[in-house]
Amino acid sequence: MIERIFQDALFSAIAAIGFAAISRPPHRAFLYCAIIAAASHSLRYVLMNTGYEMHIIPATLIASFTVGLMAVLVSPLSKIPAETYLFPSLLPMIPGVYAYKTFLGLAVCIFSKEQVSFNNNFFLLWYNATTCCCILLCMVIGAVAPIFIFKKISFQATR
Amino acid sequence: MIWTTMILKTSNTSKQSVNDLCSFLADYGAHLLASGATCIRLDKNICRIASSYGMKAEMTIMPRHIHITILDEQTCEIQTAIASVPDTGINFSVITELSRLSWEIADKKIDLYKAIDKYNKIIIVTGQNKLFTILLVMLANASFCRLFGGDIIAMIIVGISCFAGYYTKTWLTSRKMDVRLVFIICSMVSSVIGSTDILFAVGTTPEISLSSSVLYLVPGIPLLNSFSDMLYRRYLCSFARFTDAVILTCCISIGLYIGSLLMNTNLF
Repeated sequence: MIERIFQDALFSAIAAIGFAAISRPPHRAFLYCAIIAAASHSLRYVLMNTGYEMHIIPATLIASFTVGLMAVLVSPLSKIPAETYLFPSLLPMIPGVYAYKTFLGLAVCIFSKEQVSFNNNFFLLWYNATTCCCILLCMVIGAVAPIFIFKKISFQATR
Repeated sequence: MIWTTMILKTSNTSKQSVNDLCSFLADYGAHLLASGATCIRLDKNICRIASSYGMKAEMTIMPRHIHITILDEQTCEIQTAIASVPDTGINFSVITELSRLSWEIADKKIDLYKAIDKYNKIIIVTGQNKLFTILLVMLANASFCRLFGGDIIAMIIVGISCFAGYYTKTWLTSRKMDVRLVFIICSMVSSVIGSTDILFAVGTTPEISLSSSVLYLVPGIPLLNSFSDMLYRRYLCSFARFTDAVILTCCISIGLYIGSLLMNTNLF
């Protein structure tokens, strides 16, 4: 299990560094992005796969709140706005497979010719779409909320 | 780019200063917005700079424009400026430096013209090593695939599809092509390469390789900023950013669909 958690943290860190490069942050931000992504994604993995057996939606909310909290706490140390860390650290949590299955379900629904297969595919489409939207909502609200809770720290980071 | 509209009451020296401050702040705000800053950061930075010069700033933030009014409380002079948001792309280094400049002005009380000089140096963005960025994004997308449960073959295919797609994106963006069209084409290129795992059955997780191949295009920053603006009760800006993110996500889906049709993967 520890090996799997470590693997999860490692790949999240690599993903965060790579995606941080898209938004052109200051160079010193890369290290913090990697640490925040590794900690939050492995936390979600622990919540979902160990004894807690938590559902993906609350686990994502807790993990993304951790991202926001860590970003706010790290920003005065690095003198970089907290928002810089949010996108790359959250991206490994994007519900890509759910989004893909939603899109697939939509297409299959459109081309369904029988009611039974349409109903079945519509259920899959709706299930994947709602899960995907809920995960996305939890991700963004969980990550952005700490910036508003700790406004003073967040907006004095570059001072 | 900036239109100054109204001066109510003026004295020669303060007119110049209010005029310049207003133009500077409109341009400053437009560049912050273009670089991916949230409304709350824009609001705080601009009000901080204005109050350091003993003035009050009021602003309307629109998706493509910023409208600023500066009031000199001592002379009751009012100046308004509107600036268009330039198409510079997301850049957090610029946001960091512009935020730092606002604190420098507030704490060290630096002269307006010295601040404008510093600002002009910040907004000249130095070129990024494109190949290095593409390699980083490629590695990131391959890691993404692994996180979703993809095997090593899927990781390699996703890495290659991301390289091709991101390179295409950089090339098309440099040719000033419409961003929605760029997203459709890049998503199509990546999904065509990503679907090789389904066509040739080389790996054990073909669906994961196809679904992860386009994830580097996810418009995460507009989506995050839209929720930040919503919490700050800037609903107009929030809605505009959210719509932008939804349209780009639809473009990714269209590209993925066209790519799958071209490769005849029998998914639909």
